[in-house]
Amino acid sequence: MRTWYFSEMAYHPAWEKGLARGSLRVNFPSENLDPQEAGTLLNRYLDEFALCDEVGLDIMVNEHHSTATCMTVSVPMALAIIARETNKARLLSLGNPIANRPDPVRVAEEMAWLDCLSGGRIEMGLVKGAPYEIAPANSNPGRLMRRYWEAHDLIIKALSTTTGPFSWEGEFYQYRAVNIWPRPIQQPTPPIWMTGMSVDTGKAAAEKGHVVGTLLSGGLAKPMYEAYRKRARELGWEAGPDRMAYAAIIGVGTTREEGLRRADIIADYVRTAPVVAEPFTNPPGYNSIGANVAMLKAGPRAHRMVTDRNGVPIDHRTATVEQFMDTETVFAGTPDDVFNQLKAFNQRMGGVGHLLFFGQGGLLNHQDAKSNISLFGKEVAPRLLELGAPEHAAAAE
Amino acid sequence: MGRPISIAGVSLEIEEKGQGRPILFLHPGEGLQANRPWLDALARNHRVIAPHHPGFGGSALPDWIGTVDDLAYLYLDLAAQLNLENAVLAGNCFGGWIAAEIAVRNTARFAGLLLAAPLGIKVGGVLDRDITDMHGIPRAEFLRRAWADPAKAEIDYTKLPDTELGAIARGREALAVFGWKPYMHNPRLKRWLHRIDIPTHLIWGEQDGIVSTAYGEAWKAEIPGATMETMPDTGHFPHWEFPEQFAALTSAFTRRLV
Repeated sequence: MRTWYFSEMAYHPAWEKGLARGSLRVNFPSENLDPQEAGTLLNRYLDEFALCDEVGLDIMVNEHHSTATCMTVSVPMALAIIARETNKARLLSLGNPIANRPDPVRVAEEMAWLDCLSGGRIEMGLVKGAPYEIAPANSNPGRLMRRYWEAHDLIIKALSTTTGPFSWEGEFYQYRAVNIWPRPIQQPTPPIWMTGMSVDTGKAAAEKGHVVGTLLSGGLAKPMYEAYRKRARELGWEAGPDRMAYAAIIGVGTTREEGLRRADIIADYVRTAPVVAEPFTNPPGYNSIGANVAMLKAGPRAHRMVTDRNGVPIDHRTATVEQFMDTETVFAGTPDDVFNQLKAFNQRMGGVGHLLFFGQGGLLNHQDAKSNISLFGKEVAPRLLELGAPEHAAAAE
Repeated sequence: MGRPISIAGVSLEIEEKGQGRPILFLHPGEGLQANRPWLDALARNHRVIAPHHPGFGGSALPDWIGTVDDLAYLYLDLAAQLNLENAVLAGNCFGGWIAAEIAVRNTARFAGLLLAAPLGIKVGGVLDRDITDMHGIPRAEFLRRAWADPAKAEIDYTKLPDTELGAIARGREALAVFGWKPYMHNPRLKRWLHRIDIPTHLIWGEQDGIVSTAYGEAWKAEIPGATMETMPDTGHFPHWEFPEQFAALTSAFTRRLV
């Protein structure tokens, strides 16, 4: 299991006001942000990313828009800085919300440029994006995935074509001369990742052979991984752990209490991030018809819950750190505790090759964040590298 | 349930009721709601033909259909296939937008155009929101703005069968496909409204919180000879909120057509 550190570079000083308004995203006015403070925080967060390289961790960056929960507005912009500040870490963009990008060729150019800059260290996530990203981008949620797949195909074609220009006359995108300079070091393309939470995403990723990542719920992750492995077998290949990724909050400390305390502080991100005004939670077309039928039947007061390993529902907005540990949203404790928890998790999931280490939610102070990263990098990550597919994993399915 | 009909290779579900001058009624973004009393009220004096738009009800939304232009040509083909003559072309909300797109293209089969609170044109400046962002407000606020009496709009979704819920979800996605960007309008349509060469009547709810009566006045100014009347205590869906009055106004309009 490889470990990729990430943080969303949150603007936590505005969270309380956002919570009081019932929305931290889309319609939370930016007068609630102090730009000087934002700059200080961005520099601090980038220092935390840079530390990862020293302690042997890989790095992941994502982006969101119009939100106090994440100030990273552009994955390539952040990765450009991080690429210059690191030497060894692989750099994962997870990712570009390509169905919300008007210009997929630009996405390909940026990824190729970063791959050259970093000496071939880029991994490239092509993601659907969260439902509340539709409004800031004003992209059409109708036929979103058709647009996603056309952008996906075009980006891969643009990165892997060395004898261009070629033309592209598609349903959503039209170009007359695609011929990107520079082209990526990693040919035909940097490794490709997708994200999702459903069995359908697992199958789709298997058909492409991409890495599939999901977050914060072991209960949702497992069926998706199993769908991936099953589809891969149907297609004649065996999907190993290196095709599966999982994002979780992790707090490590020299004592169990310290680890839990850090995880609890980071988990405030998860308690806060889902708070978004109703109209932006489910734009029409974003979710499947089946999911919408279920939501209509559940009635207006229902909201998203996950279940723990015993099937008990947990509300992300109010859960304790112990409850989050039961849903596999959080792993926490001493390095030994965390290693053992992740080893058991790897066993339950049938082998997960990539851990996306959510190690800074915003409220964790710089000293704690650095200590969390260093302890994990030195004491946990090297042992995780030796975890492969669990024995009898295939038989357990 | 309506009946299926194939138009230009698209399988549509259409409702048909009554005798008399045909009226092709194009439903709002909220759907046809064919079991509501307004269809019967209109059918007392007309042969009402009401298609479910592609993606709504039992109508298919094939991949190649994706714009209001497509819908305009589709319904011109429907009118031809049904051999409509001297018909009334009517539409409310999103359906009013489609009706106007039809009328600027070809009015040969229609004697009159009846628009109830149509969406579809841009009137104000870049910072003016002519059409309420129905997808940017909570559902409860949408109902308050779209209805003078929101209680009339109450639907208990938890009691509907899955097939109907699926149709509602498909319809909502279809409305996004057609109207998300630019939001519920065609920036060029206003400049072509002068082509409408049949008597045109606008009906507007005085409590419409989606598109104002001032927006209605802009429509009236662009369509030669258009008339407009308002309905008191009425929101964005006049036929749905007051079926009898809407049917009476429709009959009054059709009586003055040749």
